[in-house]
Amino acid sequence: MSQGVSQLLIAGVFAMSIGLGTGCSHQIELTSLTNSALPASVVVPSDARMPVLLETIRVTHNGSSIAPPAILERQVLGAIEATRLFSQHYQSGYTQPPKDQARITMRLSIDNLVEPHAGQAAWHGFLIGASMFTLAPFLSLNYDYGAHMSLEIERWDGQTRQYTATSNGSAHYKLFGANPEVIEQLKGQVTEASLSSLLDQMIQDSTFYLASHEQSPGNSIRTVSIGIRHSSPRAIPISQPASDAPAR
Amino acid sequence: MPFLARLVTALAIGAFMTTAAGYAADVSPTITVGTQEVGLTAGYMLSHQLTDGHTTRQHGVAFMPSWMMTITDSVGDGWYRGQISIGAEMVYIQFQEPYLTHGLGFTPKIKYTFVALNRIRPYAEFAGGPFWTDLAGKIPEASGELNFVLTAGAGVSYFMTERTAINVGYRFHHISNGGTSSPNLGLNASLPFVGFSFFF
Repeated sequence: MSQGVSQLLIAGVFAMSIGLGTGCSHQIELTSLTNSALPASVVVPSDARMPVLLETIRVTHNGSSIAPPAILERQVLGAIEATRLFSQHYQSGYTQPPKDQARITMRLSIDNLVEPHAGQAAWHGFLIGASMFTLAPFLSLNYDYGAHMSLEIERWDGQTRQYTATSNGSAHYKLFGANPEVIEQLKGQVTEASLSSLLDQMIQDSTFYLASHEQSPGNSIRTVSIGIRHSSPRAIPISQPASDAPAR
Repeated sequence: MPFLARLVTALAIGAFMTTAAGYAADVSPTITVGTQEVGLTAGYMLSHQLTDGHTTRQHGVAFMPSWMMTITDSVGDGWYRGQISIGAEMVYIQFQEPYLTHGLGFTPKIKYTFVALNRIRPYAEFAGGPFWTDLAGKIPEASGELNFVLTAGAGVSYFMTERTAINVGYRFHHISNGGTSSPNLGLNASLPFVGFSFFF
């Protein structure tokens, strides 16, 4: 009799551990990335590099314009800076390059698409509640996020180039694994993937952004290696408070 | 009633003091998917005799600690834009009339919160679950001690800070045994309540 009770207790504890373990799980996957160029790395003469001005960042959220979060602006500027393709980096609203200085001008537009699957979440929530939470480890909640980025770059002589990149991702989580950070990580990873793709395309086009360079006889050329510095797999949440953002 | 009066007075004074502090800042609560809410609600149950068979006038205080999880971003457009959250609530009722008895229940809960008014957020809620009470068996409307409680109600949350809110509202309470024993007329009551919530 007591052996039966022990077995029942062990089975109960085991089932509860499995339930809590799976009920708290979450998973993020990047589902697609269009216009993904191969990671580029190029060596260019360092004094042929030009300054760049990030003139505008336009952000829409399901078609509605929103003010770009400050951390997104820093993420974009930081990623551009990390490529080392440009000699100096300026942003509208901050210190500007001299008027007579030749420069590259960038305009970035980010269209975010959010599908929170609210109807499914409500239905699953109802079922989970009605089952006294026993279905919590088995019913997933989903959140999809996509970012379409378009980067227009204008050279000092008026010539322009345009690059686009799209990436999508989904977060799948169980009720007890729901956490604002999961969604922020998803957004951060999708944004990072799109941005990396854009910058890779730009680096493959690097000669377009360099001033003509002629080697003086007898002088050696100082060069710099440019390319994407991929961040750690743990992406920065794009709406994280500035004080929490890791230093670049 | 003196206990209830003390409770309501304490909550009202606390709410007034924290509300005054809250006015100093521009409060814009950001409740997102995965935001959790813990709260404590207190109210007073006032009976309804909906049929001639209902004779018991059960009254008493109720305490309801709760936990909720927001599971959607804002859905809809315009005045009905809102978020859905689910969670669970413990219900303790001390019946003071007709006999001093007790009730304890656990109810999963679903809530729709209207977010269009920013810091003032009306909501509708529904909850139901098992409920044990020793009042049953002593009154003609209910028999076994194991019962079920169903509640539906509406309220308003007022965010004093981005993370704390006071709540005021009304619930309709129904307690019955789901036909598991006879008689099963059930008990119906109104439950006006006040409470507070903390979001994290």
